Amino acid sequence: MSTECPLSPEVFTTKDFRSSLKPIWCPGCGDYGVVTAIYRALATIKRPPHEIAFISGIGCSSRIPGYTTAYGFNTVHGRALPIAQGIKMANPDLLVLVAGGDGDGFSIGGGHVPHAIRRNPDLTYIVMDNQIYGLTKGQLSPTSPRGKKTSSSVYGSMEDPVNPLLYVLAYGAGFVAQGVPADMEGLAKMIEEAIRYPGFAFVNVQSPCITYGDADTQLKTQRMRMRKLEAEGHDATNRLRAMELAQEYGRTLYTGVFYRNPNPPPTYESQIRERQQNLRGETMALEQLLSRKSTDDENLTAS
Amino acid sequence: MVDDLIIGMAGSGGDGIVSAGESLIGAAAAEGYFAILTKSFGSQIRGGESSCRLRVSARPVLNPGGTLNVAVVLNWEDFLRFGGELPVGTGTVVIYETKTGVEPAQIPLGGTIPEVVLAVPMEAMAMTAAGTLQAKNNVVLGLLAGWFGLARESILKGIRKKFARKGEAVLQGNERAFAAGLDYAEQHPLGDARHLSPPVPAAGRKLLTDGNEMCGAAALFAGCKFFGGYPITPASEIMQYLGREIWKYGGSLLQAEDEIAGIGAAIGASFAGLKAMTATSGPGLSLKTEMLGLASVAELPLVCVNVQRGGPSTGMPTKPEQADLFAAAFSAHGDTVRPVLAPISVADMFGVTVEAFNIAEQYQTPVLVLSDQEIAQRKEIVDPVDTSNFKLVDRLRPNAQELENYVRFRFTESGISPLSHPGMKGGNYLAAGIEHNELGAPTANGEIHARMNDKRLKKMDPLKRRRDLFVFKGDPDATIGLISWGSVAGAALEALHLARAEGLKVRLLVPKLLYPVAEEVYGEFFAPLQRCLVVEQSHQGQLYHIIRMWVPVPPHYEMLAKSGANPIAPEEVLGRIRTMARG
Repeated sequence: MSTECPLSPEVFTTKDFRSSLKPIWCPGCGDYGVVTAIYRALATIKRPPHEIAFISGIGCSSRIPGYTTAYGFNTVHGRALPIAQGIKMANPDLLVLVAGGDGDGFSIGGGHVPHAIRRNPDLTYIVMDNQIYGLTKGQLSPTSPRGKKTSSSVYGSMEDPVNPLLYVLAYGAGFVAQGVPADMEGLAKMIEEAIRYPGFAFVNVQSPCITYGDADTQLKTQRMRMRKLEAEGHDATNRLRAMELAQEYGRTLYTGVFYRNPNPPPTYESQIRERQQNLRGETMALEQLLSRKSTDDENLTAS
Repeated sequence: MVDDLIIGMAGSGGDGIVSAGESLIGAAAAEGYFAILTKSFGSQIRGGESSCRLRVSARPVLNPGGTLNVAVVLNWEDFLRFGGELPVGTGTVVIYETKTGVEPAQIPLGGTIPEVVLAVPMEAMAMTAAGTLQAKNNVVLGLLAGWFGLARESILKGIRKKFARKGEAVLQGNERAFAAGLDYAEQHPLGDARHLSPPVPAAGRKLLTDGNEMCGAAALFAGCKFFGGYPITPASEIMQYLGREIWKYGGSLLQAEDEIAGIGAAIGASFAGLKAMTATSGPGLSLKTEMLGLASVAELPLVCVNVQRGGPSTGMPTKPEQADLFAAAFSAHGDTVRPVLAPISVADMFGVTVEAFNIAEQYQTPVLVLSDQEIAQRKEIVDPVDTSNFKLVDRLRPNAQELENYVRFRFTESGISPLSHPGMKGGNYLAAGIEHNELGAPTANGEIHARMNDKRLKKMDPLKRRRDLFVFKGDPDATIGLISWGSVAGAALEALHLARAEGLKVRLLVPKLLYPVAEEVYGEFFAPLQRCLVVEQSHQGQLYHIIRMWVPVPPHYEMLAKSGANPIAPEEVLGRIRTMARG
């Protein structure tokens, strides 16, 4: 299993995953909690930092790979998933994490999400959902609620928000969870579970923007509003029930695992390896073009 | 006897015209001829007009040629749709279907009256011989074999192979159709003077291939282990070839959800340590440009093949053009240089693709290969690739000592710094599109930005002195020069031979490295010149202008530039050379 490294005698602590870069985030930003939860999750996973590739797009939250000691790649806006898939295909042994904001994942990059899900690479996608564009100073985001007044929607948004949970569930994601930095314990555990899930795993983190976010989304209110799915008795193997609960996005702040596929399908990279093995030793068309190999004239025409 | 034959054929989609062309070039390859087959279609998926142009010779063929020696017209409407792609002159032998009802003296060629015009009841012959119109193209093959002394045994062998699986009745019908064509030609002789001279006794086997296949094969030879792309005409065959083959080499391929994801995945694979590639055509190149910028700034090797087609926008997807040079050189934002290479023939596609991987790896940069629809999709008979000439380059990777205190973007004299990849202990770093310091940490410091720009640009300087990326031909002391690139260079090369045969002194420069502009190479080429003509298939003359941006040009610097789908014939270039020679 790619998430375990049983031969490694090393013991990891959260410090091993914390880089020396100082985050650019505003004091009070939810993303501090997310990166801390990631350190904790990685310490329990026990893969050394050099075997981890952490890929992001663009936005406040997309700075996150630089705050870890993993191999990081802070790419372009909305395209972290395709790049991460190329990395995972190239080296399936790596632990691949992907992170970004709601705009990165569900606006400019929204078209990539379904395709990553249907291929089912073993990677973990963490979205820090704050319902606003923070880095560009407070414009409407794809998850901003209808009516939301922002610098780009001074009279209020006329659009319904994207529902990230329903979105990924609809396309068949095998692991879907939502967490809040206010519940550090729960968030770290959830990220750890997502990493351990053998396939595409999605974690939506309601990560409040202290500067442009609404008062009722902040950490303090999260503690009061959150309702743990586990405590509600939710059966995480029930996909239809998960979709029902996911409809509450934007109204009820459920946290925990919405859905975990009890029978994970084969990952993309496992199928790649199988194909590579099956085709090894097959006749290579290239040989025919080279002068060192002689072929009879029947094979001359590549039809 | 003639030693060069250009045959153009056109009909409706179902007439089997292209299939006849493929049979002919297959037979020519088996006999040891050289040939180029270009196919041209309307943009319909099925049906509509289709045509092909075959140039066959005992000598190596440099380009598809100009005016036809033979025109085969199954119906006039379809033939005339191809206009300048199938030019007919007074010396052309015109063979057309009797059923079109046109009198030989009335053929609709806009006043051109060829000496030999033959109305042949091809449909009727096919019906008599095989009981089906589908055998029409084999009647055509019989006529051509008979009248022009073409490879009749090999054609017959090809027909037998093609119809072997379709049952005895179908096979015999088609054989009879071919024989009917031969008989007709014998009964209406045109004389041996029109026969093609026999091929030079074969110096080893020959291959029939096209540029897209060559590109895919070369990528595998170069060690490419990942391809990410999206279907687009006329580049899809590269992905299709690699989709069959790359797994056998332990590699993998992603047909992505869009062009951006295709190049993104390739950049990811390169970051993970593999040689990686994407391929596209015009509109796809536009979509990929942000990612090209990312690869430049993150200093990741990547090969991006752009098979040029008519543009802008959707343009003419099935027609060749050389109008993506500006886009290739200048599209991504910011101060960056991406090397741009172009092959000059199907055979050359192999070496240029290998070179693209080598340059990408050597300089940790994206490299663009500007193929074009002509090279990508024409069939060409070539010699097998002699791989002893190729060295393969791998990226500079950090050694154990460098990994102890790894600095990914270290300022070095060459500008090249060792590149680690995930899994390499101690090599951990942050790659980013954002400007960064030597360690990879994001920065907005102007001084660091300037130094990083300098690092990323200066590392490519040695490329500009790579004379092996240029073809020099002709008379070194000539005062008349020609420059051409890509598939059109074949026409310029042939024009050079024709001009020198007339006693004109001319020299030719064909750059395979189009960007960055090699100032010294052009400077030396221009030094003795009074006049220079840049020959290319774009409306603006894009190479003409790019050279001029960097290099002082000769006193009379001209262009022969035509929009795509309008072939540039050697005779046309020759005409301009003659004019220049008159002063």
